[in-house]
Amino acid sequence: MNNSSVSQYIPPISDPFLQIITVIVILFLAIVIGKGITIYLQRSLKDKMDKEHLNILLKTIYYGIIVVSIIGIIFPLFDIDTSGLLVAGGVVGIVLGFASQSIVGNFISGVFLMVERPVKIGDQVNIDNKLGYVEDIKIISTIIRTYDGLFIRLPNETVFTTSITNYVANLVRRFEYVVGIRYSDDADEAIKIINGIIEEEPYALVNPEPTIFVDTLGDNAVNIIVRIWAPSTEWYDLKMKLLWVIKKTLEENGIEIAFPQRTVWFASELNTRNLQNGQMESDMACQNYSEEGQ
Amino acid sequence: MFDTYNPPFTVEHGDNVIKVIKEEKDLIYKRFFRGTEEKELLLLNNDGDILINPIEPVNLPGKITSFMLVDFKRTVFIRPGDKKKIYLTFPVEIGVFVSDKGGKHEIIDIFTYSRVKYTLYGSHNKGLVCRYWQSEVFTDEPDTNILHEGYIELEIINDSGNLMEITQAVFNAYGMKIYYGDRRLGMKASMKIINKLLAETDFETFPTTSRFKRSMELYTSRKLMINATKGIMEFGL
Repeated sequence: MNNSSVSQYIPPISDPFLQIITVIVILFLAIVIGKGITIYLQRSLKDKMDKEHLNILLKTIYYGIIVVSIIGIIFPLFDIDTSGLLVAGGVVGIVLGFASQSIVGNFISGVFLMVERPVKIGDQVNIDNKLGYVEDIKIISTIIRTYDGLFIRLPNETVFTTSITNYVANLVRRFEYVVGIRYSDDADEAIKIINGIIEEEPYALVNPEPTIFVDTLGDNAVNIIVRIWAPSTEWYDLKMKLLWVIKKTLEENGIEIAFPQRTVWFASELNTRNLQNGQMESDMACQNYSEEGQ
Repeated sequence: MFDTYNPPFTVEHGDNVIKVIKEEKDLIYKRFFRGTEEKELLLLNNDGDILINPIEPVNLPGKITSFMLVDFKRTVFIRPGDKKKIYLTFPVEIGVFVSDKGGKHEIIDIFTYSRVKYTLYGSHNKGLVCRYWQSEVFTDEPDTNILHEGYIELEIINDSGNLMEITQAVFNAYGMKIYYGDRRLGMKASMKIINKLLAETDFETFPTTSRFKRSMELYTSRKLMINATKGIMEFGL
């Protein structure tokens, strides 16, 4: 649409007072339409988008309608030639485009992150080897609070292009222990005891069921693998708690956790013993001699 | 045990004791489990009554779900188009409420004498974490120790065109309506089977009498925003 095509349908307004009134009316209508559309979108997208992103979208639409009405209706109405504006705008656009390449990249990545939603605020994640809680997802950056309380701002382009591990995206999560018991202990009994401990633990899930089995006959121990599923929200607390309970309960039942040990065989064991005996005999002879002398 | 008490009072069930002591205007609440003190609370400036009654069994040890899965010890088959009533048991969680001046009840303690376990129903990303309970399937109302177990009168309606095999039922705590008397503690529910992978459970009301009354449910008293009261079983029966 160019100026002449719009202005040919609108009679020219020469009276300055009428011009002002017309501008006010057009702006008023644009504001009313903008408000109406934003209220409608707010209601329909309220449950689908988070508040902050929805506000950004609504503001963009609202001001976009006003700008379009100014450039598309008011300018042609007063025969203001916008072609020069478009050329200047194009040049400025190219300059700004180069200057704000990374910002635009982050912005577009942010939009895609909002649509794809691989992470949500509050999730525990590993993004670009940064582990922690997602504190905020903004339009051009994502904020992480690490487990030791550090604030990390990640550009959305990094978040979007790097691999993301979301530790709580699934409802349940598994953890594993290796329990090494002595060769002299009964592995079946140990498995039964460990199973009993898991049975008593509310958050050790019934389904997927836990697995406990002898995995390897190691150098120093019979290694029992214990795999337990827990709700993702309770996973870490349970992992921290159960291993020590297993260790204590096994020991209470006479099953010891094996430690590294080495049996040393002496090639000349018999000679060593003879020498020791001979040494003892000579010592005793000396003792008898001294007693007789007294 | 399930009643409204005016402090000071002591409720004993074996070596499990609830004791509320009055100290001037304050109340001291103590709960002992197998002789050991498990909880002590100080209720400041409080002269309200204490209500002890069963609540939805999905709150312990922490609130992580509003769903309960009852695993049937015996598989149940129902013919197409048929309707049949069975009875299951469910674990009892006991809520202790204190009433304020306006008569509004607020929860102060939750405990249970039943075993607490959780399970996953459905897929890892779209399923449900549920409180797990294994129950025998009865055709008549079972006798239960109401401090440990209640019963669910479950009407199964097979709306599908096939013989259906049922091994479990998922219930939503938002819809639970618990009723109790001196010896009975129960809920009335229905399970509508749509096909092999889809069923819907819901709760119904019992006719109440002075001896069989409606419990103060936790979800009702918290006035939580209710999204749905039905249990949708979309990952198999």
